[in-house]
Amino acid sequence: MEKKLLETDVLIIGGGSAGMWAANRFKDLQPDKEVVIVDKGPKDWGGLMTMAGGDFDAVMPDENIADWMEDFVYYFDGLCDQPLMEEILKCSFDRMQDYQRNGCTFFKKDDGSLKSVPQRGLPHVKLYPAQLKGRGGEMMVRALVEQLQQKNVKRLGRILITDLLKQKERVVGAVGFDTLNGDFYVIKAQAVVAATGVGGWKTSYGKNTPTGEGVELVYKAGARLKDFEFSRVWNMPKYFGWEGQTTLMPLGGRFVNALGEPFMEKYSPILKANTDPHFTTIAMAMEIRAGRGPIYFDISQINPDDLVLLKPQNGWQLMNYEKLRDLGMDLFRDNTQWVPQMTISYGGMDAGIHGETNVPGLFAAGTARSTEPGVYAGGFALMTTSVTGYLAGEGVARFLEEQPQVEITLDEDEISSLQKEIYAPLGKDGLSPKAVLTEIQQIMFPYNVSIIKTETALQDALHRLKTLQLTKIPQMAAKDAHYLLKLREVRAVAFVSELYLRASLERKESRAGHYREDYPQRDDAYLGWLTIEQDAAQQMQFAWEPVPTAQYKYPITRYYSDNFTFIKKD
Amino acid sequence: MIASIDVKKCVGCGNCVNRCPLDVIRLNEQKKAYIAYPEDCMTCYICERYCPAGAIYVHPFREALPKIFTQEY
Ligand SMILES: Cc1cc2nc3c(=O)[nH]c(=O)nc-3n(C[C@H](O)[C@H](O)[C@H](O)COP(=O)(O)OP(=O)(O)OC[C@H]3O[C@@H](n4cnc5c(N)ncnc54)[C@H](O)[C@@H]3O)c2cc1C
Ligand code: SF4
Ligand code: SF4
Repeated sequence: MEKKLLETDVLIIGGGSAGMWAANRFKDLQPDKEVVIVDKGPKDWGGLMTMAGGDFDAVMPDENIADWMEDFVYYFDGLCDQPLMEEILKCSFDRMQDYQRNGCTFFKKDDGSLKSVPQRGLPHVKLYPAQLKGRGGEMMVRALVEQLQQKNVKRLGRILITDLLKQKERVVGAVGFDTLNGDFYVIKAQAVVAATGVGGWKTSYGKNTPTGEGVELVYKAGARLKDFEFSRVWNMPKYFGWEGQTTLMPLGGRFVNALGEPFMEKYSPILKANTDPHFTTIAMAMEIRAGRGPIYFDISQINPDDLVLLKPQNGWQLMNYEKLRDLGMDLFRDNTQWVPQMTISYGGMDAGIHGETNVPGLFAAGTARSTEPGVYAGGFALMTTSVTGYLAGEGVARFLEEQPQVEITLDEDEISSLQKEIYAPLGKDGLSPKAVLTEIQQIMFPYNVSIIKTETALQDALHRLKTLQLTKIPQMAAKDAHYLLKLREVRAVAFVSELYLRASLERKESRAGHYREDYPQRDDAYLGWLTIEQDAAQQMQFAWEPVPTAQYKYPITRYYSDNFTFIKKD
Repeated sequence: MIASIDVKKCVGCGNCVNRCPLDVIRLNEQKKAYIAYPEDCMTCYICERYCPAGAIYVHPFREALPKIFTQEY
């Protein structure tokens, strides 16, 4: 194993949508400066976007930003960072145009206009599906990689960054290791962008790389986090993966219980099935708990003309559909069994419009920064990650213009102790990361921890998790560099699980994607973001950052969660 | 989950190895791809889609996950 030293102006951790956009924009502004993107996955794979269908939210020039803002303030139950969201919406059409200019096409109707699909029963928010449904994200990755090549951005794959380096409070680089051959990397940089995505629980297709090492490393460097009480509780087929069900809902797709009842009508008489999947999942779990499971997906109400938009035509979606059909399972013919499932965490860095965090020299981009409180409109992520990546690129460019270049002197003792810590589990006998992951999943997945939360269940889970962190995490071992990566991932999954449990206990109300059965009403005392920071004694400090309603442009008068009967109104 | 790689068909191009997001596949000394870390597969089909020789089969079922409810449903 070798030790490798790199030096660059800007280090971008994570080559997903956000990281690539940040690099791209930075290079437009400062073409002579050097940028390196480092990713734990394959070089140029593009993160989750490589699997994305390509649905994109954008406010068209003939629409009003204010209309969309009102939708989001309502949809987020007030937890909307209004200046940030306004900026995202303002830039959304420009980023969509950038994609179109670079060869990505969106689905057009017969009259040549773009096809849009309204989202979650909201009056204005809508997505634009990619032309090649199922390969839209892949095309976007290709377009961005081409740009990065032209602009001379250096890209490295299969390297996990584990720790940030600081000099007098300013972030000046990072260390990590090559997950194939184990080489140790030390990277000096004038500024760092963390575009590392979210945390999560490795629940199969598309959810196996967002595991939270980025969350752990920025937290250790002093970054303020927020929104960890929210997790993505989604619905998925019991036996296989499926993508695209959210596009089916506004067009008549729905879930039915074992009695054949379309139960969402009962839980949400106004929105019915056409709502946010987090609320559908809560209702699903309630039906199963009441003995009315299993739950099936029913497409009998969809207009056959719309099915052309919905049938998988490309990429993963088509291959998946055909493989399942060959096994006698046709989602477009049969009712298939679906289950509620916790998948990834929301939550991320608390950052300003241009990605600036509370730590000088550290910028946040994409889903690594928090933008939504546990509800999710289709097409939202490709919009927010492109825009926040772009804005972080601008933030870093300004930072480097305004701040003096620092002479970086490495603290060799610190580096060798980080190196020792990284390789300590290597070549030893011990627990396999996968076995420990399964134990974490067993703690986290029960419905009263992940979906319909209660104090007792959360406390019990936290107690079990703390025991696991003390007894099992240190006993994990890695045969080789591959397993060393998996081990770090599982450690981060445990860390993010702790953030989720503690934050869920703190928010004693139900709001947006967070549902507490023992506090089933909204409480104005919690109209704010729950932030988390490490204090000097290395303890987790929680604090409330109230929504600054007096300064905000859009009043909070309506709440999306009021549409659901399980949210109690005093 | 990735089910098989047909060594007779594999031409050793390395596409699957380089593209697998989870580093499940490696090339052996004979330049044939093999499933090195099967338990890490997430059923994304990337390897199968980019194999020029049609050597890979990924089964569409995902791995089973721990339960949400204690009772069966
Ligand atoms: C199957 C699927 C379909 C989707 N479809 C759509 C859609 O149609 N429309 C839509 O809007 N959204 C969609 N999404 C969501 C969207 O693709 C993602 O939310 C978005 O691409 C996330 O971008 P990101 O850059 O923030 O994070 P990521 O894509 O997760 O990128 C983070 C990158 O950082 C790397 N990384 C993390 N930690 C480290 C570390 N410590 N060191 C080195 N590297 C690290 C990871 O390997 C990863 O490449 C879909 C997602 C999936 C999985
Ligand atoms: S299906 Fe995806 S995760 Fe599994 S081996 Fe192939 S490329 Fe890797
Ligand atoms: S992509 Fe196919 S041919 Fe190429 S190495 Fe992999 S299995 Fe062999």
